[in-house]
Amino acid sequence: MSVQAQQGIATLRIPEGLGGLLPALILIGLFFVVPVLALLLRSVTDPAPGLQNYAALLGDGTYARVFFNTFLVAAVVTIVTVLVAFPVAWMLAIMPPALASILFGIIILSMWTNLLTRTYAWMVLLQRTGVINRALIGAGIIDQPLPLINNLTGVTIGMVYIMLPFMILPLVGTLRAIDPMTLRAAALCGASPLAAFRRILLPLSLPGIAAGGLMVFVMSLGYFVTPALLGGTSNMMLAEMIAQMIQSMLNWGLGSAAAFILLVVTMALYALQLRLVGSKRAVGGA
Amino acid sequence: MTQAFLSIRKLRKAFGAFTAVHDVTLDIPKGEFLTFLGPSGSGKSTTLYAIAGFQDPTSGDVLLQGKSLLSIPSHKRNIGMVFQRYTLFPHLSVAENVAFPLRVRRRPDGEVKRKVADMLALVRLENFAERLPAALSGGQQQRVALARALAYDPPILLMDEPLSALDKKLREEIQAEIRRIHRETGVTILYVTHDQEEALHLSDRIALFRSGRIAQIGTGEDLYLRPANEFVAGFIGNSNFLAVEHLETENGAAVVRLADGSIVKGVKAADKLDRGQKARLMVRPEAFHLTGVPGTASLAVEIVDAAFFGDRRRVVARTASGDEIDVRPTSDAADPDGADAGSSRQIFFDPAAAFLFPA
Amino acid sequence: MLLDYDRLGWLKVALLGFTALVAAFLLLPVVFIVLLSFGSSRWLAFPPPGWTLKWYQELFADPSWIEAALTSARIATMTAILAVAIALLASFALVRGQFRGREILRGLLLTPMVLPVVVFAIAIYAFFLQLGLGGTTIGFVIAHTVLALPFAIIPIATALEGFDKSIEDAAIVCGASPLQAKLRITLPSIRIGIFSAAIFSFLASWDEVVVAIFMASPTLQTLPVKIWSSLRSDLTPVIAAASSLLVALTLGLMIVTALLRRKLQT
Repeated sequence: MSVQAQQGIATLRIPEGLGGLLPALILIGLFFVVPVLALLLRSVTDPAPGLQNYAALLGDGTYARVFFNTFLVAAVVTIVTVLVAFPVAWMLAIMPPALASILFGIIILSMWTNLLTRTYAWMVLLQRTGVINRALIGAGIIDQPLPLINNLTGVTIGMVYIMLPFMILPLVGTLRAIDPMTLRAAALCGASPLAAFRRILLPLSLPGIAAGGLMVFVMSLGYFVTPALLGGTSNMMLAEMIAQMIQSMLNWGLGSAAAFILLVVTMALYALQLRLVGSKRAVGGA
Repeated sequence: MTQAFLSIRKLRKAFGAFTAVHDVTLDIPKGEFLTFLGPSGSGKSTTLYAIAGFQDPTSGDVLLQGKSLLSIPSHKRNIGMVFQRYTLFPHLSVAENVAFPLRVRRRPDGEVKRKVADMLALVRLENFAERLPAALSGGQQQRVALARALAYDPPILLMDEPLSALDKKLREEIQAEIRRIHRETGVTILYVTHDQEEALHLSDRIALFRSGRIAQIGTGEDLYLRPANEFVAGFIGNSNFLAVEHLETENGAAVVRLADGSIVKGVKAADKLDRGQKARLMVRPEAFHLTGVPGTASLAVEIVDAAFFGDRRRVVARTASGDEIDVRPTSDAADPDGADAGSSRQIFFDPAAAFLFPA
Repeated sequence: MLLDYDRLGWLKVALLGFTALVAAFLLLPVVFIVLLSFGSSRWLAFPPPGWTLKWYQELFADPSWIEAALTSARIATMTAILAVAIALLASFALVRGQFRGREILRGLLLTPMVLPVVVFAIAIYAFFLQLGLGGTTIGFVIAHTVLALPFAIIPIATALEGFDKSIEDAAIVCGASPLQAKLRITLPSIRIGIFSAAIFSFLASWDEVVVAIFMASPTLQTLPVKIWSSLRSDLTPVIAAASSLLVALTLGLMIVTALLRRKLQT
């Protein structure tokens, strides 16, 4: 290597100060912050300056119904996801490693498989002439196909499917951080399995449940693809309504205002979640 | 021995091909402080876990007042336990931790309050009732754990190396506390430790474990002064082992020949030995003296290193057969400078303080 | 005892049974779609009346599917390269930098992960319409890099946090230039993080639907957009064939990840 090349390399360096952040900040500033702020601006200027878009959204019963539906679906999905995820995470946290790695493999496969692929599969499975209805009719359990798609049931099944990994994986971490000796101590103190669960295991995993549940709730609030494909017109969710306002109705003012409402709610809940995760760390250190 | 309160009958625990506990049998009278002492992996904790119900033994039985405990799940055994790691419930205050066993037993509120106050007074933590465990030091946490384990007046208290995570000063402080609480409550305590000083300090009796078996059970004095075998002699206190030849048995005591050819009479032997059999003679470092009195045995050594420690000297000496031995005689004005490094001389010991084991 | 696998008794049976059901639930759509793609029924009857490869033939005979897949691969590869490069620079600053507002900047860079995609999608759509970047490859790559950046920063920053900087300093004391020390010592040490970042940002772009739906033009559409528009018209088994190939890709990626991790860790 020549002396000049040596010097060239010696002066080149990966910056460790603010400089290294520059490309990321330019990208996020120019192509994330600016467009989002422009959208916010549009919600109070399009078609005319003022708050009429927000007044329209919050004053109209149709839109109120969409807001209500969005919260309802997100809440139902969150509750079901927590109830299903907890026992699975519990077992994953303590089962033999060989068995756990198989289960982790299934979870990762489901999580990494293309979102549309998974939703498509549920559309086929849940439709009137789909596998589930045929199987139920074939078994003589029902004689008319159940309405499993284009309604709350379909959205819930599809969304829970997508959210489960996001709940299970962090909960495994929370449960693994609990010393099994604590539960042994509870048993020797006289706590039956039910009492030990209610008084020790559940309270100790509550920070993880709350943080994961809030994350699932926030993600569900703004979800677009699955509700659009598995939900019905009578229970449209906010993200789909925003897309329709822009794409079909070309009503940029109203769409931007609705998007901004979604943004504010999401960010507020996200801030709450950060605080929960923070407090979880504090408890975990005990 | 009076009628056994807690009995362990031929307890065996195997993990696959490895047997952690080999047919251990033990009787513990009510109110005794019994320590399981032994190196790690000797089966002492496994035995304790079988009593607590954390592990099912492969065979054998554990009886409390004549009734088998094995078919009873842990939460109905009514046994108290303090663990090696801090196992306080991190989300509950100190008072609620102590109250926990009473609450799951659905005791009335007034009784719970009274009992918690008594227990916190017992471990001298009255002023910490509302703190969370994370706000306590390690020693305080173990005292709360002790209060929690005693709150429901269990007939037996198990302690699994409860002081091993604490520093030396705290350890001594809590040892004193445990002795006091044992005296005041009269609870039967089974205590596991690998620290012989702790065992000697605390226990009525010590069961010394080795490879899943009890090598010897007895008082600290028994184990120190009358070790049943070479393992016990080597584990408890410091010992020197001199290679000797057994000559004969005379008046119930052994006669041996040391490596330097001198004959020692009146030695206690753990097992019966044959004439001419090779054997090992155990002599504690502090049993050696630099000056001889009539009746003591003598040993020719070369002094390798010597240091003065006030009440005692610490001398490393080499015997005629080349073994290095540890000698800690009391400082003796009559022999002020006779132990310089490099010098050769005689050292002395009382044969009655020596033990003979088969080689 | 509730956390001792061997001491749960009947509870273990119940919980394991439930866990097996959930595993089946997670596996069901994936397995089902692969089976259906080989079924001969156009109306997706199950079990299929017969087995066939004709949906795969139809898929490969249709240039718009191939075109869409190639577009997605191109955009996702560029996104992954760009996101990892930017994330690498940013991570050194975020982990080692000593400046005010570091936590706030970290939060800002991670925000695209939390903000509902639909909000970002219409925002960037409107912005690109004005800049004339709508429906262009560059537009796609920029938008996807914004979305992928958090998924690239998190694994790299985590790996860097776990790397002892004194090892790098030792290399410099041995005579390496700061850049040489980083290239020869630090980067190889955090390669698992970099590799995860590449996979995650590739997938973030490859699977991205919402921004793509808004940005797609008749001449430029990604695979998810192609699937989306097919889904809205009918549930043809050709989608099942395309989906099965995506499942195969996922499995392949998982296996490569597992093998590489094992290799890199030893």
